[in-house]
Amino acid sequence: MMRPDQLIDNLVADLRPVRRAPSPARALAIWLAVTVPSLALVIWLMGLRPTLPLRPAFLLDQALALSTAVIAAYGAVCAGRPDQPTWKLALPVVMMMLWLAVMVGQCALMTIGGKPGVLALHIDFACVPAMALAGFIPSITMVLLLRLSPIFRTNHACLCGALAATAAAEFALRLFHAEGSFLTLLVWQMGSVIVLTISGSVIGKWVLARLPGGMRIWPIPT
Amino acid sequence: MSASWLGVKRKIVADDQTEWVAWLIAAQQGDRRAYAALLTAAVPWLRRRARGRWPQMSGADIEDIVQETLFALHRSLDLYQPPRPVAPFLFGIMKLRGADVRRQRVRHAMREANLDDLPVTSPAMATNAIQEAALDHAAMREAMATLSQRDREILDMMKMREMSLQEASAHSGLSIATLKVGTFRAIKRLRRAMGVDDAP
Repeated sequence: MMRPDQLIDNLVADLRPVRRAPSPARALAIWLAVTVPSLALVIWLMGLRPTLPLRPAFLLDQALALSTAVIAAYGAVCAGRPDQPTWKLALPVVMMMLWLAVMVGQCALMTIGGKPGVLALHIDFACVPAMALAGFIPSITMVLLLRLSPIFRTNHACLCGALAATAAAEFALRLFHAEGSFLTLLVWQMGSVIVLTISGSVIGKWVLARLPGGMRIWPIPT
Repeated sequence: MSASWLGVKRKIVADDQTEWVAWLIAAQQGDRRAYAALLTAAVPWLRRRARGRWPQMSGADIEDIVQETLFALHRSLDLYQPPRPVAPFLFGIMKLRGADVRRQRVRHAMREANLDDLPVTSPAMATNAIQEAALDHAAMREAMATLSQRDREILDMMKMREMSLQEASAHSGLSIATLKVGTFRAIKRLRRAMGVDDAP
């Protein structure tokens, strides 16, 4: 440990002008500006489903997926800012739980209501790569945004960033990918969201750590 | 929302000097005088806040947290968004770095053994001339000063802070292989600088 005045001298001598990082709201706007056209392109390339089930349950699911994506993206860019309140970081988790609870609730209601075929589980491998494809550009954009400045809560930022990308991808997926039974949707699509969020978080942290300059605060050499 | 939390929040806002905002904005533009003024004003304030937040910590640990906060502020100058108050920004950095320091202390404590119960004449405490020389901090510091900046950084991460290879890699952006080779070479150079002859 060095003397405080010596440390201050070293830090002052090392000072260089910095370009201010975008505010969380601006960073979110940048992410949306890239994500929305990329998802539109994927939907266009894959082809919009001919018959969209525009029932209230579907619209509610889509609204929750979209809200989770936006709130998680905001949570990711806020996580690296030391002066952001903790509730902003907890919000993506709450949204994800709400989304999952609504989906499970819908499945339970349909089962109790005796709707046929609700609990039929089919294999739907196609939705995993489709979701990974749709989430690719949003993920890359998020990594680049998180790279703009050193970040503090790295794990939280990566987890929220991955959740944002997969929730956005799930939103797009349901517009171009035909659904099977509700249980298939719950297991395969929501399962893919969870698996891709966790793996995306791990990969994102790994990528961030290996880019030049690292990802975390690190004392300057003295 | 608890009354005590509100009290803390109000205190932070009250403590925040308006000139700190001007100093930090100027520091972002590279003004060294404003930066020095900000850091000088911030040190006693951070020390007070750290003591209030972690009353059980020793003076040395508090000083460690304050210095870590200054380092972190230095690397995060671009994150400040004017005209937001500076105090919550600094306090936020201190909370996060303080938590890191505390975690590190706990990790180290788990690897340490208490030798208080050993008699001073115990052979377990015996050292020889080479070990004493190696433990001579002054000589070590002098030898460290002769090393390159990169060697010092690597030794600081791997030996002083006892980071794992993964942690050091995440912190510095260097690959694990580079860190391994770098540590080996830095130790070799340090030993040479301290006059220790390695067997061929």
